[in-house]
Amino acid sequence: MNRRKALQKTGVLAGTAVLMPSLLSLLQSCKTESRLDWQPLFLTDDEAKTISTLIDMILPRTDTPGALDVKVDLFIDKVFAKTYDESGQQKIRTEIAAFNADCKNNFGEAFINLDEQDRMEVLKTAEASSGKFNDGVWGTTIGKQEPVGFYRSLKSMAIWAYFSSEEIGENILNYDPIPMGYQGCIPVSDVGNRWSL
Amino acid sequence: MSYFLLILIFGFRNEIQMANFNIDAKKETTYDAIVIGSGISGGWAAKELCEKGLKTLVLERGRIVEHVKDYPTMNIDPWDMELRGGLTPEEKKTYKSSIRSGWVGTETKHFFADDAANPYTEVKPFMWIRGHQMGGRSLLWGKQTYRWSDLDFEANAKDGHGVDWPIRYKDIAPWYEYVEKFAGISGEALGLPQLPDSHFLPPMELNCVEKHIKSRIEKDFPGRNMIIGRAAHLTEPLNGRGKCQYRNRCNRGCPYGAYFSSNAVTLPAANATGNLTIRPYSIVQSIIYDDAKGKATGVRIIDAETNEAIDYSAKIIFCNASTLSTTRILMNSTSSRFENGLGNDSGELGHNLMDHTYRVGALGKVDGFDDKYYKGRRPNGIYIPRYVNIDEKTKTDKFLRGFGFQGGGGRAGTQAAANIESFGANYKDNILKPGPWEFFITGFAECLPYHDNKVTLNNNVLDKWGQPTLSIDGEFKDNEKALNKQIQEDAVAMLEKSGLKDVVGFDNEHGFGYGVHEMGTARMGRDPKTSVLNEFNQVHGAKNVFVTDGACMTSSSCVNPSLTYMAITARAANHAVSELKKYNI
Repeated sequence: MNRRKALQKTGVLAGTAVLMPSLLSLLQSCKTESRLDWQPLFLTDDEAKTISTLIDMILPRTDTPGALDVKVDLFIDKVFAKTYDESGQQKIRTEIAAFNADCKNNFGEAFINLDEQDRMEVLKTAEASSGKFNDGVWGTTIGKQEPVGFYRSLKSMAIWAYFSSEEIGENILNYDPIPMGYQGCIPVSDVGNRWSL
Repeated sequence: MSYFLLILIFGFRNEIQMANFNIDAKKETTYDAIVIGSGISGGWAAKELCEKGLKTLVLERGRIVEHVKDYPTMNIDPWDMELRGGLTPEEKKTYKSSIRSGWVGTETKHFFADDAANPYTEVKPFMWIRGHQMGGRSLLWGKQTYRWSDLDFEANAKDGHGVDWPIRYKDIAPWYEYVEKFAGISGEALGLPQLPDSHFLPPMELNCVEKHIKSRIEKDFPGRNMIIGRAAHLTEPLNGRGKCQYRNRCNRGCPYGAYFSSNAVTLPAANATGNLTIRPYSIVQSIIYDDAKGKATGVRIIDAETNEAIDYSAKIIFCNASTLSTTRILMNSTSSRFENGLGNDSGELGHNLMDHTYRVGALGKVDGFDDKYYKGRRPNGIYIPRYVNIDEKTKTDKFLRGFGFQGGGGRAGTQAAANIESFGANYKDNILKPGPWEFFITGFAECLPYHDNKVTLNNNVLDKWGQPTLSIDGEFKDNEKALNKQIQEDAVAMLEKSGLKDVVGFDNEHGFGYGVHEMGTARMGRDPKTSVLNEFNQVHGAKNVFVTDGACMTSSSCVNPSLTYMAITARAANHAVSELKKYNI
């Protein structure tokens, strides 16, 4: 539960000076819930929470691991830290800030402070309004790639990080490092999930 | 990594352990032959000369890369790499040219040259991939291997562009067969005059969608064929090398030696003769020409590590530094006889640069095969041989020469999953399943030899060793643009007629270099007044110097050139030794 909703629900939003002990503990528990349990290399704690919350919603835990289970957020932070140059890093900060500014405009709070229903609305809007990636051939994009925006880029990074993680790559997808031969036409039911490599 | 996998790899390694290379060129500075460069053509020159009994020194500007031992990433998975293939900003600067190809990553970067230490000037855009290590770009090439035909060797003579090739198919056909038997080429025979069959190992297999599209194209477009790529991948063991294991990790070095590289194939053969010395970190500064003798007497190198200049002498010299690096060496080799570069009486040295057009084609989605999949990662695609301007019936007045297609089909990768407008539990479960089938083709068109597509020595930009660099000034012109237009139209038509959905034509032509088929700049010819090399690749005016890499090419064909470099090199080496025995050089 986020602070704003908690306060609204308890009716103390309009400047009550003294908080009851039970309410205090409720607010503290909210805070504890969203405290980051890892140390980002590049992102601020709030930025990291934004990324973690987003990718958890895109790739949640089901009967298979979710993005957070395989530390997709930690890896994305590392990618920002180690593969982006300064201008690229600055752009990411600006994009996360703009994303949160949109959330504030439309829902009154930064993304991590919204309740689940509002977050769902944010993602649905982002899906519908974000650009798409062009197809690629031999490692390069075909045609002129228009910017896809923060959400689609992050989603793409999350998918890359998820599929290239050891747990998903070796245990959830079909891991076959040395196929030894090629069979060009087999029933998909013989394989199940996609090949890993 | 599983225990089983370790056994497989190390068990195999023991089998193919080779004798160490002799890299001690300190004591001896005189050889029968010097080969500059150890890539696809240099490896062949070394093998042929060593096997014919010549004490041969191979000068390699980079480090030693021993087969298997020096393939550090050959078995690692994405999660074994800290950045899963991503490069740091510093690495992106080091590979600032080659990175544009999309092929440089953690797992392959050590086989790409340091672009920062080896600058060049792009008068017009030119993406230059260089492999500064033993084996050169033979560790990185695409392995597509096709014979050229008289359609190619006669092209200049027929339409008047460039100069006539001094050879015809019959001159090189036996040498194609000779190199194919040793290199190992898999493919399917078709009997097409415009794309002669090689000596083939069994072809790789098409997948279900490719087979379907093949049948549609061949039915709906009479005269067109679609086949599996002819490729230097073993589909059966050959000379102690293992067959392809369908890992598609070729660019990291193949532990099985299943694809042709100098490291796995020609250099070990040269080494086995006892006649090979290979000197790493040897940057060739120039070829030394003796005015009185009227021939070259040796090579001057700069040691890349110590900056020491050392001269080596030999009776014959093979230039196989790769197209533009060979030309740079010739340009830098000046004497009172050759003030404008060795063999440059004609003024053609550096001119007539060519490449193939690249990344123009079409892509679409294929319905009806959702219940089908494949097993294995096949390092090969499909090929559609040239079908335009091959005879009177197929002649067009829109352009000269022609094009072929490469491509392939498969189930979409994970990037496409990011476009799906969905998220959450069902979405995640859905993208764990194989993606939709896609199929694409992209054309490779012939580029005419234009005199003004050229490289020049640039004394204002020096490399890390103080040597002049190249300014590269090449572009596709109207004929290639017309070819590209036809490529896209035909690609879209073939895919749409074959029933594909959402067919998208594309033209991502970025200019020279992207095809990585740079050719020309020291062309063969019949007349010393208009060419740099004769019919046996000997430099006019320096008959003991041979150029047999891509620099020698007189035209560019539309098919991949590496097999032709191999055959031309073996033929020239045979001629060199025969002339040496007759005391003609």
